[in-house]
Amino acid sequence: MSTKLNRRQTLQSTSCGFGYLALQAMCAGRAMGAVDDLSAALPAIAPRARRVIFLCMSGGPAHLDTFDYKPQVGKKKHPGSVFPFQQHGESGLWVSDLLPETAKHVDDLCVINGMHADTGIHAQSFLQLHTGERLRTRPSLGAWVTYGLGTENENLPGFISLNTSKSSVYSSAFLPSIHNGTPIGVNGEDMSAATIANITSDHATLSTKRKQLDFVQMMNRQHAADRRGDDRLESVIESMELGFRMQSSAPELLDIRNETENTLQRYRVGTQEKQVGTCKVTDFGRQCLLARRFAEAGVRFIEVNHGSWDQHKNHRRDLTANCEATDAPVAALLQDLKDRGMLDETLVIWGGEFGRPGLTPEDGKNETGHNARGFTFWLAGGGTKAGYRHGATDETGARAVEGKVHFRDLHATILHALGLPANELTYWHEGRHHRLTGPDGGKIIHQLFV
Amino acid sequence: MIRFLLLATLIGTPSLLLASETEDFSFFENRIRPVLVAHCYECHAEAAKEIGGSLRLDHAQGIQQGGQTGALLAAGKPADSLLIQALRYDGLEMPPDQPLGETIIRDFETWVEQGGLVPPDQVAPQADDSQTELWSLQPIHDPDVPDVMNSKWPRDSIDRFALAKMEDMGISPVADADPVMLVRRLYFDLIGLPPSPAQQSEFVAQFELRGHTAVRKLVDQLLSQTQFGERWGRRWLDVARYAESNGNDGLGRNPTFPHAWRYRDYVIDAINADLPYDEFIREQIAGDLMESESAEVRDRRLIATGFLAMTAKPAKAMNDNFDMDVVADQIDVITRGIMGLSVSCARCHDHKFDPVPMQDYYALAGIFTSTETMWGVAGHEKLTAPPTDLHVLKTPATIPPPEGFVETVIVLESATGIPKKLPASKWKSGTPLAMGVRDKKEPADAKINIKGEAKKLGDPVPRGFLSACNLAAQPENQPPAINPKQSGRLQLANWITHPNHPLTARVIVNRIWQHLFQRGLVGTPDDFGVYGQRPSHPQLLDHLATRFIADSWSIKQLVRAIVLSRTYQLSSDVDSARIATDPESRWLSYHSRRRLDAEALRDSMLQASGQLDRTPAQGSIIRHRDILVNLAGNLHQSSRHRSVYLCFLRSSPPPELAAFDLPSFTTVTGKRQSSTVPGQTLHLLNNPFAVQQAEAFAKSIAASTSDDAEQIQLAYHRALNREPLATEFQQATELIASVAAESNHHQALAALCQALLICNEFRYVD
Repeated sequence: MSTKLNRRQTLQSTSCGFGYLALQAMCAGRAMGAVDDLSAALPAIAPRARRVIFLCMSGGPAHLDTFDYKPQVGKKKHPGSVFPFQQHGESGLWVSDLLPETAKHVDDLCVINGMHADTGIHAQSFLQLHTGERLRTRPSLGAWVTYGLGTENENLPGFISLNTSKSSVYSSAFLPSIHNGTPIGVNGEDMSAATIANITSDHATLSTKRKQLDFVQMMNRQHAADRRGDDRLESVIESMELGFRMQSSAPELLDIRNETENTLQRYRVGTQEKQVGTCKVTDFGRQCLLARRFAEAGVRFIEVNHGSWDQHKNHRRDLTANCEATDAPVAALLQDLKDRGMLDETLVIWGGEFGRPGLTPEDGKNETGHNARGFTFWLAGGGTKAGYRHGATDETGARAVEGKVHFRDLHATILHALGLPANELTYWHEGRHHRLTGPDGGKIIHQLFV
Repeated sequence: MIRFLLLATLIGTPSLLLASETEDFSFFENRIRPVLVAHCYECHAEAAKEIGGSLRLDHAQGIQQGGQTGALLAAGKPADSLLIQALRYDGLEMPPDQPLGETIIRDFETWVEQGGLVPPDQVAPQADDSQTELWSLQPIHDPDVPDVMNSKWPRDSIDRFALAKMEDMGISPVADADPVMLVRRLYFDLIGLPPSPAQQSEFVAQFELRGHTAVRKLVDQLLSQTQFGERWGRRWLDVARYAESNGNDGLGRNPTFPHAWRYRDYVIDAINADLPYDEFIREQIAGDLMESESAEVRDRRLIATGFLAMTAKPAKAMNDNFDMDVVADQIDVITRGIMGLSVSCARCHDHKFDPVPMQDYYALAGIFTSTETMWGVAGHEKLTAPPTDLHVLKTPATIPPPEGFVETVIVLESATGIPKKLPASKWKSGTPLAMGVRDKKEPADAKINIKGEAKKLGDPVPRGFLSACNLAAQPENQPPAINPKQSGRLQLANWITHPNHPLTARVIVNRIWQHLFQRGLVGTPDDFGVYGQRPSHPQLLDHLATRFIADSWSIKQLVRAIVLSRTYQLSSDVDSARIATDPESRWLSYHSRRRLDAEALRDSMLQASGQLDRTPAQGSIIRHRDILVNLAGNLHQSSRHRSVYLCFLRSSPPPELAAFDLPSFTTVTGKRQSSTVPGQTLHLLNNPFAVQQAEAFAKSIAASTSDDAEQIQLAYHRALNREPLATEFQQATELIASVAAESNHHQALAALCQALLICNEFRYVD
């Protein structure tokens, strides 16, 4: 192999603090010999956001009873919203009465009513929301973002997934595994004390552990040097360093006891005691508070999960419970980001793998299904238009008909907000370039930005 | 979508223009129809809710006549064809969501240019033709062993198949593994433990003297050890979604399965006894219905049916579909686990791609609705599952709980907060019991559940098997008729293990291959269906399947044949260029390095530290406890037995293993993930298990010698089976001195020992 250095090799062999963009800047800034042709051709995009907080509403939140108001019009009864809505804020956007606290922030929201996806199968659509691919393990959005931007805090993972479900949704797949999401808590279990497993131990001092790890890494480098070409061995070395550094930084971040009573109350930490139907006890307040703390500490991509919104049978009861469990924590998070001047540079995303069809209020039914052809996401911060509504579904809310945004378009738009080239951020694997936006590519929805 | 992607990658390769008596429809079948199915059938096919524009694209007449908007095609003139205009969003816009890719549209133009040929309709237009096409449903044929150019290289016919493919691809195999690499690989692959230093040097010496004969001897010896069954049994337990608790029922409750461990022991024993795989499967599906010559055999077969009772059940309360949820899991573990075919979609609807219609699903379902599933008392919580009977075994000893045992985890009455009284057991304390199944008194066919809802019933479907899986054309090979007085499980078991069944042997030989090579010949071990990957070496797969059946379905014989092949014994020492030409060793030109899985890592640490207890653990720590795991806090206890004997509770996996990609044990898992995350480092550095092993390791070394230099040498020897290099020795000395200065010599030695147990050399197998 010649001395030619390409982007991929560089990114694979350098530490996690070094993102794709940093390398690109470096390559453009000074001559580095022959550099991968692509990097020079990439457009420079001004970043609007520096990090992402993804509020993942697993199970498919009912768009028609949260952010997509479909009142009965005309003589013929048709499916629509069953809960009352009001207009809020200066923008006058409609928000369901189930979300009174979030409604107070409606002038910060950029509501996308024209979302659509390919399938109403949970697992597939959930995977596609996270990775762009329905059936195979591919790098997660968070992994692509940290791959693209590197980290702002080398003592923490760049991508943290709270209350997560299966590992395929936070996987780095073929990207260097340093970009793999670090899980905290398991979906379905109580999150109130969830932590990073084995983060501390008092059997030895940190200084002893450092010396020990230096020795391990000496052994590992020697082992890898005899086995060139095996990227996994390099990944282990990097991952061990990160694991080590996390011991000193993460425990403090996970300890929320130093937050004021008022803050804990605003986030409703630990207030939900019982599962109601599909609405699990996930201590969503603590998750949102941790998300803020991780964002402050420089974590690039934070996903928090609440579920399940898959209320088939008891639509009214379970949706009410899910909204109540999440409404105040989300509002508190938005407020804190704003108060700290962080909302401008933090892209907050709210949504799930699809929506749900509406009910016809008069027929007494209380049961919904899955609706992938039209549903709602909202964005906030990160340079998106505030108090803005984009796209629309038809009069029954079943299909997106205006301003349609597919997951791949959403992905492209998120990457764009972070200053990453949406369809050119690629990775060579098994004989072809892969990208988050898939073979079809994604459309950047420029109208969403200020 | 998969087809779509495949298509996209196929573009650019010349299409095969086969001479045929009639017209050639291959272009249509390969390039056009898949796109129609994927993107257009939803609105333009028989099954569509409303036929869009009265246009049907699922049969020739429809395509040729067009719909409301008029004729679709102007043969030979793409630009004038409405279809092409619509695809190009010129006037009409189809598909409405998003235009198709440019390459695909060009395919449509090529097709129209060539005349827009469509194969004539069958009697009834089929929504999908994959039923007859799917490779895995074709009969297994015994392929001729191919000729190869380098005829000196192969040792076994396996090698000839592998080499023929390599020669096709223009690559050649790398060098053979040296004996040190080979012996470590064989130990881990066969028994899941590393060779001791003495075992390693013994083999290396024998290999120098006797070459391949020494390998054969070692392999036979390893195959005969009980550790073989512990290693390979665990792999089947992954497929069987074996667990010792129900898992979260959706409402947080997680009842124990206190008798599940008997099934674990059954699997380990069956593998060690090399019970023929067809018999192994028959026992698990219908052991209770088989004639058994003795009480021991009868008990064994009753335990085997635990396979069907391990369902991760959703709560019974308010769930009309509970019974059918259990049936769905039983169907899934049999179809995906044994046949590599997923039929679960067909519970609610016919699937456009899968060759399994709803009729077939409910034909199978009738077998299981006629079966009584026995999981036990479900933690005495009727809301999660009603209590059931269990098999009472005749031959195992009665083992009552230890004296003074009092159950401490008791559910409280929600109204009063008073502990619920534990119902009296119907059996004498310690009676040997087993989970499992038996026939219901009045077997009956199941009715179709419209949209999968148990309350919306359609017509009954006669019990039966999958219509897409034909055993052969001959009448004597027709599926066995189901005895109306029985559930049909016995006939199902006989059908699925029939030597002509196209899937059963292929699926298990692929699983075995995958465990030895890290990648199956079919990369998706649980999915041989339309969404699964195609085999990299279809002929080799069929060769192995044929050989497996001829060798009386012997797992040990197949493992033996594969590990003795030259292909298996290749070196893993390769450079980047090789990895680029043969990524992930798909073409088998070298051996893949692998990381120890959770169990092998823990067991190896125990062995190196001198703490491993090689005797099988007896029973389970929860054998006397019918409780809800979620109320119990941490039930796990540390143990020195092999990891397979730890308590595999769902939603509460053994903490000593949890960091390393354990599956959830709720559904069939043929292939575990292998992630690299910082949480693993934290486990290796801080988990009490790792710390304790390092302590014990250091203690036993200190007991052997007090000389500093000898201690380092001994630590290397026991952890890595080698002497330290001079530089390593020096750094180890420095580490010990420096840590000892902060604490004491024992801590320092333990730090070194832990380092050796967690380094990559310890954790990877070349």
